[in-house]
Amino acid sequence: MKAEENPYVPKSATVVAVKNESLETKTLRIRLYNWKAEFQPGQFVQLLLPGVGEAPFCIASSPSDQKHMDLTIIRRGLVTIASHYMRPGDVVGIRGPFGRPFPVSRIVGKDLLIVGTGIGIAALRSLILFLVEHREDYGELNLLYGARFPEDLVYRDEMKYWAEKMNLKVTLSKASPEWGGLRGRVTDHLDGVVKGKGQVAILCGSPLVMRSISGELLERGLKADQIFVSLERHMKCGIGKCARCLIPGGWHVCKDGPVFSLDEISLEAIGD
Amino acid sequence: MIRVKVGQLLRLPSVLSEMGYRVIVPTESNGVTKFADFATDSGIDLHYVRAINAPRDFLLPDGEKLFSYRSTATVTSYGLKIRFPTVEGPCPVTINAEYTAPSGRIAFFAIHPCHANSIRYLDSVMLSDPADPYYRARRDGMLTVVMECEEGDDHCFCVPAESWELEEGYCDILVRRSGDGFLLQPRSEAGKKAASRLEAQEELGSIKERPPKMRTSFRIHASEEDIDRGEAKGIDSCTLCAACTVTCPTCYCSDIEDRFHLVDPSNVERVRKRMSCQRRCYSMIAGGNIFLKTKEDRYRWRLKHKFPFSSKAFGISGCVGCGNCIAFCPAGIDMRRTVGRGTNK
Ligand SMILES: Cc1cc2nc3c(=O)[nH]c(=O)nc-3n(C[C@H](O)[C@H](O)[C@H](O)COP(=O)(O)OP(=O)(O)OC[C@H]3O[C@@H](n4cnc5c(N)ncnc54)[C@H](O)[C@@H]3O)c2cc1C
Ligand code: SF4
Ligand code: SF4
Ligand code: FES
Repeated sequence: MKAEENPYVPKSATVVAVKNESLETKTLRIRLYNWKAEFQPGQFVQLLLPGVGEAPFCIASSPSDQKHMDLTIIRRGLVTIASHYMRPGDVVGIRGPFGRPFPVSRIVGKDLLIVGTGIGIAALRSLILFLVEHREDYGELNLLYGARFPEDLVYRDEMKYWAEKMNLKVTLSKASPEWGGLRGRVTDHLDGVVKGKGQVAILCGSPLVMRSISGELLERGLKADQIFVSLERHMKCGIGKCARCLIPGGWHVCKDGPVFSLDEISLEAIGD
Repeated sequence: MIRVKVGQLLRLPSVLSEMGYRVIVPTESNGVTKFADFATDSGIDLHYVRAINAPRDFLLPDGEKLFSYRSTATVTSYGLKIRFPTVEGPCPVTINAEYTAPSGRIAFFAIHPCHANSIRYLDSVMLSDPADPYYRARRDGMLTVVMECEEGDDHCFCVPAESWELEEGYCDILVRRSGDGFLLQPRSEAGKKAASRLEAQEELGSIKERPPKMRTSFRIHASEEDIDRGEAKGIDSCTLCAACTVTCPTCYCSDIEDRFHLVDPSNVERVRKRMSCQRRCYSMIAGGNIFLKTKEDRYRWRLKHKFPFSSKAFGISGCVGCGNCIAFCPAGIDMRRTVGRGTNK
C-alpha cells in the first residue's frame, strides 16, 4: 500500500499566513507542499495538527488557486484552539478535498440567494469568491449574512469588495447601540431578497436557522430542488467508513454532502 | 462432500494454520463463547449458538493503528508542550506517515451463517469506493469454515432477517452435523485444498445450507417510517451501556484519534477506535449541538442504521438477525418489538 493510495494519510502543507478575523476566529492560509488541490466551492478538508488531532473544515478560498487553501476556524475545542496558536511556517496535514460541492455549473444564469449565519459564512466564502470571479455567468446575487455580536463578524475587510458585485446585507441579532446596520435574525430580512420561483437558494449556518429559512423559502414558492443546504455532522473519516455523519435518508454527509438539495433530504434531516 | 469424525474436524484449525492462515476459532470460557486466535490448547466450542464477539473484531480490530508520525511535542517542566517549529526550532517540512499494511491471510473456523453474512455486510461498507485499505488487506485471501445451526435460541432471527443463506465467496467449507460425525462440503478451491488434508470418507451427493429452526417467526418492517412509528416501550430502562453495539457483528462506527506516550510525546499514533451511537459524543458537533439526544433517539437511530440507511447506502441490510443486541442487553430491550410484525409469540 503506497501512501498516495491510503485515504487516511494526510498530505503535508505549511501555514503561510494567519489572519485574525474576530475574537474567536482566525483564517489560516495554507500552502500545499508539492501537491495541488482541485477543489470546488463547498468541499471540505480534514486538517491534521501534528500531535493534536484532526478536524473537518470547509475550504474558504477561491478554487482558482490550487496551491493554497484558506481555512477559517472558530475556537471550539482541542484542534480548533490549537489551530489558533499556529504561526507561519508550521506544518499541518491535509486530507481531502472531500464531499459534493455546490452545483455551480448547474445554476449558471440563475438568480441566487445566499444565506450564511455564524461560522457558516466560511463555507460560503469559496462560493462567494467564485461568483465574484464569474460574476457575468450568474443573475442577481443576494447575500444575507447573520451573526450575533459585531465582534463575531468575519471577513469584514473583504465585504466591501463583495458588496460591489452583489447585494449584501449583514444583520446582527445582538447588536450594540452603535451598530448602524440591520438588526435581528436573517429570517427577519428575507423580504426583498426572496424572489420566489426560479431563484436558487444556498444556505449554511446553524441547523435551526437553516430549517426555518428552508421552510419559509418553500412557502414563498422556491422549489425544493433549488434550495441547497450545507450540513455539518461529526466527521472522522471523510470517506464513508466511520458512519458518524449519517443523516435520515441514509446519506453520508461526508460523501454525498455536505451540500444537499431539499428534494433529497427532509427538513428534519437538517437537524435541530 | 466428505464425512469426518469430530477429531478430524477439530484438526482443521491446525491444518489451516499449517497452510499459513491466521486461524480464528470459537473458544469457551466461563460459560461464554468467544472467538480467539487458535492455539493448540484452544478449547474449541463446536456447540455454541451465540458468541460474544464476531469476525468484525478481527477484520476491523478496535484500536487499530492507522499510522504513526513524528510531531514536535516535548515534555517540559510545565507539562506537555506542542512545540510549534517557527518559534523554537527547525520546521519539519513534511508529515511522514509510517505504517505497514496488515499482512497474512485470515481463516474463520466454525462461524455461523449469520457471521458469514456479517462479513458480507462489512465488505459492502468497507470495500465500497474508496476501499478501506486496512480492512481490504486483512480480508484479502480470507477463508471461512461455516458451521450450520440446527436451531436458534430465544433471540435468534436469521430466518426473518434472511441471512441464513450463503453467497458465493462467503463460505469455503460448509459443515453440517450428521450422526456422530460431520459432513463437509467444500465450496471453493481453497476449501477443497484444506478439506483434502483431513482423513475422511467420500460421500455421494452434496449439501446446501438450509434454514435453522426458529423459535419465533415474524416479518421485518423497517423503513424509516416503520422505525419512527414502531413501539419503543421500555426504552426508558436503557442504561446506555452500548452492549448492543459492542456485540453486534455488523456495528462498525468508529472514532479516529491521536495518541502519544508521555515518555516520547513526539511519537504520535493515529488510532481507529470503535464508537457507539448510544454515546452522547457520537453525534455531538462543535457548539454542543447533539443530534441524537434521548435514549429513544439513539435506539431508533441504531435500527435505522441497520435497516433503511444500510439498504440505501450499501444496498444490503445491516442486521443479520443474530440476536446479540437482544441477548446481551441488560435492560431486556428487544428490537423485534419495533420492527417485527405478525409475530407468533
Ligand atoms: C463539513 C464540515 C465543515 C466544517 N467547516 C468549518 C469551518 O469552516 N470553520 C469552522 O470553524 N468549523 C468548521 N466545522 C466545525 C469543526 O469541524 C469543529 O469545530 C471541529 O471539529 C471541532 O474540533 P475540536 O478538536 O476543536 O473540538 P473537540 O475538542 O474535539 O470538541 C469540541 C466540540 O466539537 C465537536 N467535534 C469534534 N470533532 C468533530 C468533528 N470531526 N466534526 C464535527 N464536530 C466535531 C465535539 O463533539 C464537541 O462538541 C466544520 C465541520 C464539518 C463537519
Ligand atoms: S444494550 Fe440495551 S441497555 Fe445497553 S445501550 Fe443497548 S439498548 Fe441500551
Ligand atoms: S442489530 Fe442485533 S440482531 Fe441485528 S446483527 Fe446487530 S446484534 Fe445481531
Ligand atoms: S465522516 Fe466517516 S462516514 Fe462520513
